[in-house]
Amino acid sequence: MAVCIMVIVKENYPFYVRSIPVENELKFHSVVHTSLDLVDEKISAMGKALVDQRGLCPGLLYPTEDYKVYGYVTNSKVKFVTLVDSSNTAHRDNEICSMFWKLHNSYTDVTCNPFPNPGDRIRPRVFDNMVTSLMTQVC
Amino acid sequence: MSRQANRGTESKKMSSELFTLTYGALVTQLCKDYENDEDVNKQLDKMGYNIGVRLIEDFLARSNVGRCHDFRETADVIAKVAFKMYLGITPSITNWSPAGDEFSLILENNPLVDFVELPDNHSSLIYSNLLCGVLRGALEMVQMAVEAKFVQDTLKGDSVTEIRMRFIRRIEDNLPAGEE
Repeated sequence: MAVCIMVIVKENYPFYVRSIPVENELKFHSVVHTSLDLVDEKISAMGKALVDQRGLCPGLLYPTEDYKVYGYVTNSKVKFVTLVDSSNTAHRDNEICSMFWKLHNSYTDVTCNPFPNPGDRIRPRVFDNMVTSLMTQVC
Repeated sequence: MSRQANRGTESKKMSSELFTLTYGALVTQLCKDYENDEDVNKQLDKMGYNIGVRLIEDFLARSNVGRCHDFRETADVIAKVAFKMYLGITPSITNWSPAGDEFSLILENNPLVDFVELPDNHSSLIYSNLLCGVLRGALEMVQMAVEAKFVQDTLKGDSVTEIRMRFIRRIEDNLPAGEE
């Protein structure tokens, strides 16, 4: 089960954070922050070779003792980072990538909401629900 | 050979995202300008009215429908022809009043509100009020005074969007003074 999903915008601050259990959020923040460097590194290593029309999916960034960290970058430099429990069986790259594509689609829908100013940290309901369903589904 | 014949078949397709985003930008700008939901609702209604009085000409030219004989026919034309032509949706007509002068248009999905979530400080904003104005303006140009208002809205948590239309009276052409 995915324990944390974070959306980091171009300016490198988290736009959306969701984690279960909520107490460990601070720890997740630091893990995700350190993984941002890895995302950049992997992207520059991949170069133009694997550019997917929907976004770059470097996949597994690094495994730690408790969690595995997965990353995804969109064309607009928005990064999605997920922490998944290591105790689960290894997820195929495809599954992770398709999860990230769903997240990306939801995120573009959220940005189309005309009311909040860009950069506002809001918790859009539809996005929230979608993230919840993804987090419980990735088992 | 009249060129008007072409208008009926031509329907320019464009992406609905731009339309939805444009409407959203319009509403948010009005909110910033007026800062009061009631004023924004009134403005949207006025703007819709101005659109409606012009849109009716385009509608009549493109759809070639004849004069409606009663309010029920009008309701059918609005739902099955007008909404389909301009928004690509077909609302259903329900809840006729016993006198036959009120009905409800039920919209399962409203293209104006794709991706929109109303923030808490705008709870009395009627986001799609433009549609009410359009209906009012268009029907006024065909000699019908009606009232249109939203009674259910998906943005406020309801399952469907419902517009209640009420027939007020037929508008008689006012003869200029001195003529009988």
